[in-house]
Amino acid sequence: MKIKVNKVEYNLDVESDMPLLWVLRDLLKLTGTKYGCGIGVCKVCTVLIDGVPEQSCLVPIGFVEGKEVTTIEGISQNGDHPLQKAWNELSVSQCGYCQPGQIIRAYYLISKIPKPTIEDINREMSEHICRCGTYNKIREAILLATKE
Amino acid sequence: MEKHCKESRRRFIFGTALTVAGVVSGFPFSNKLLAELVVLDDKKKVLGLTPSIWVEITKENYVVVTVARSEIGQGVRTTFAMIVAEELDADWSRVIAINAEGDSKYGDQSTGGSTSVRTFWTTLRQAGAQARQLLINAAAEIWGISPDNCYTQNSYVYEKNGVRKLSYGELIDKAIQLPIPPANSVKLKKVSDFKILGKPQKNIDETSFVTGKAVFSSDYRLEGMKYAVILRCPYIGGSLASFDDSEAKKIKGVVGVYQISEGIAVVAENSWLALKGRDALKVTWNKGTNAELSTEQIFNKFYSLIGNLPDLPGNTTKKIECTYEVPFLAHSTMEPMSAFAYFHNGKCEIWAGTQNPQTARSQVATALGITQSNVKANVLFSGGGFGRRHNNDYIVMAAKISKLSGFPIMFFYTKADDIKNDYYRPASVHSIKAGIDANGNPTGFIHKVISQGDVSFVSPSYNLGVVQNSTASYGFGIRTGPWRSVDYTQNIFVIESVVDELAYLAGKDPLQFRLSLASDEKLKTVLRRVGENYGWGRELPEGWGRGIAAFVGYGAYIAHIVEVSVSKEGFLKIQKIYAVVDPGFPINPENIKNQIMGAAIDALSTAINTEITIQNGQIQQSGFHNYRWLRMNEVPEFNIEILTTSDRPSGMGEVGFPSVTPALCNAIFNATGIRIRKLPIGKTPLLKVDGKENKTKDLEFNAYPNPFETKVTLNIRTNDIKSSNLIVRIFDILGKLVFESKLNFNGTSYQTQLDFEDLPASVYYVVFELNNQIFSFPILKKN
Repeated sequence: MKIKVNKVEYNLDVESDMPLLWVLRDLLKLTGTKYGCGIGVCKVCTVLIDGVPEQSCLVPIGFVEGKEVTTIEGISQNGDHPLQKAWNELSVSQCGYCQPGQIIRAYYLISKIPKPTIEDINREMSEHICRCGTYNKIREAILLATKE
Repeated sequence: MEKHCKESRRRFIFGTALTVAGVVSGFPFSNKLLAELVVLDDKKKVLGLTPSIWVEITKENYVVVTVARSEIGQGVRTTFAMIVAEELDADWSRVIAINAEGDSKYGDQSTGGSTSVRTFWTTLRQAGAQARQLLINAAAEIWGISPDNCYTQNSYVYEKNGVRKLSYGELIDKAIQLPIPPANSVKLKKVSDFKILGKPQKNIDETSFVTGKAVFSSDYRLEGMKYAVILRCPYIGGSLASFDDSEAKKIKGVVGVYQISEGIAVVAENSWLALKGRDALKVTWNKGTNAELSTEQIFNKFYSLIGNLPDLPGNTTKKIECTYEVPFLAHSTMEPMSAFAYFHNGKCEIWAGTQNPQTARSQVATALGITQSNVKANVLFSGGGFGRRHNNDYIVMAAKISKLSGFPIMFFYTKADDIKNDYYRPASVHSIKAGIDANGNPTGFIHKVISQGDVSFVSPSYNLGVVQNSTASYGFGIRTGPWRSVDYTQNIFVIESVVDELAYLAGKDPLQFRLSLASDEKLKTVLRRVGENYGWGRELPEGWGRGIAAFVGYGAYIAHIVEVSVSKEGFLKIQKIYAVVDPGFPINPENIKNQIMGAAIDALSTAINTEITIQNGQIQQSGFHNYRWLRMNEVPEFNIEILTTSDRPSGMGEVGFPSVTPALCNAIFNATGIRIRKLPIGKTPLLKVDGKENKTKDLEFNAYPNPFETKVTLNIRTNDIKSSNLIVRIFDILGKLVFESKLNFNGTSYQTQLDFEDLPASVYYVVFELNNQIFSFPILKKN
């Protein structure tokens, strides 16, 4: 099976019902996408499939054949995307575990709405759980990243 | 005096981890930096200067700080690096933190009790100052001047009144030939001279978090490794009767099935196959003696152990006699427990997020029957700790499975495994007698704590008259352990709620009442300041309320005001939180702010929605769907003031939790007159109506049964039926729509049956509109 992740093509010998999450983490060693709950509730494992956020724990690998998958490793490896820079500027993270998923969701949000309002941010980002409680900082960082 | 000239062993380890494993190193360097280090390693020359186990200066003029406490989101890597960098006068942009492995040479590595900074404050300052003095001595010798004629700044030594300067990295070759000044001989800076400490600094790991490069416990990868999960007995105190693994072993990619004392482990080529293999196991369990155990039984037992509390003093004119209830809680870290272990050649290597790598090391040694010196416990990032990772059960299981299978093993819990096999925050009942005299002054506070798992009492920080504390506990075999803020979570909720009850009993303002009963000036200051910042006296709209509470602990003082609103339908909204915290000396104000917000959201989430319950001898919760956490749209705005009152820092990871819960409950009382004595709040309707039967002149509402387990029938009878159906909406206590249903007209009333199978146990509000009037009725889903 051929899949494309962060613009790189991979040829995989896997059953089509293996969840994308485990393909990314265990086979491709792209461990930036995290496992949180496995049932699509916490959204930690969010990736973009053809630009749309999906829970990689629920998506069978067969579903992404011929589609473009973007993970946190595909945003910017140096951390110079405006969202990453804003996160850094404000020291958003605590334990850091949910932040790749948060960044992916925020990336999607600003691709749809380049200058989101607080309401836009709350609506989109409330999909995600942060057990450390970094929500206020995440909101502030998205506003900062989209200020210009 | 010892001389330190060594090739960095750590560096060598990075090199091998990189080249041998070929995948990732355990440390969150940027790739560029890591590459530089590895290249330098290959040149086989002196790489760095290590005046102590805490700090290394590299040739490339980086400062590498070894952090011997575990990063679990409390910011310890940044904080420790800051402390060393300050005394070393290091260029903060060239400071790197690495994790110490578990080793007694680092002292106590148990990351708990918010002790890290207080334990290592002086040690790390001295380590920085010692390295700085050594570098100055080296420069002085090169230049042939007195060390007194040198000064340091941004990782350089400068000649006073001169033009000469040398970077720390350039001084290494000279410094390794010089004696290291004893740590206790070096002069530490005055607080007023601090350049890095006391100012907001960025999280040293932020970039590795937001690029996905940070290596967490579950992220460690090694060529040839296998993945393992475990099937554990779901019954508390139950055991394995028999199992059949023939179907599991037929799955291609399942490598083996092993019985260990904790359960049945399935090892496979990847995580998914391990889970598939586990699903294919056929198992019978001995339910054990707790097969019928329920939370209700546990609390009934607690109540039976209250006994007779002593009497209040004779001058008591008014009193409160009541009980408070606090449930079991899971830690529910974002990252379920996981660990890498590789047992080979009689040695075991661990890579894991743990709050105690030293006990991980000793426990693995014991479990495998090898000596501690044959166990290497490396610390990775933890996707949350909150006390969970003091217990290294998951690391021990990884090691045992590796030994049995012969493979390098990544062992992991699923979310459900993690919640169902936690070491829970103990549940407790608090029996209280408290009174006031004729002038409204407290006469006594009698508090008995009954718990499963130890809960020590905490004495009030106010003068409440005669204080008498006692405890009792009863074991049901439910594993308990430390949970953020530990005993304070229950005690401060109870004490600060009771103080509020006493204030209302005395007809006094809750803030003034506290100020009059506090003798500690620092406590008074945070209370007074938070009242001023919030504007305590101001009018609030109808249905709004504010509550105050304070906490003294971990070397810090904090006071919280929580402002809430409760709508006509009963929906609770947390509007604002004000906090004033006195950490003594605030090392990193930005991180303090993060900790205060995070701990408050932790406290709000657990106060409102979460509890671990037991039915038929099994833990009922299994994930964030029934162990709910607040989301971005549910959290309040924060106003946080950080005071500086001394030269010494306090702990900070747990300070922000305890007083939020009572401040919230006191605010709900202020808004509604309803006193929350049982957590979570979600068990109590915030409307003063009886959910069983509600009648007005024109309307009768019925829910049957109520409380209900999964199904409930709603009945609305009205004199004025206008259409053949009526829309009812069902909301959770925070006003989130969870259900919408059409009620059918059946001749005399509207009726429907609803199935709440998938919703967590809690109060829900049934809301509908009739005759331009909005009606809201609470119904309660039981555990």
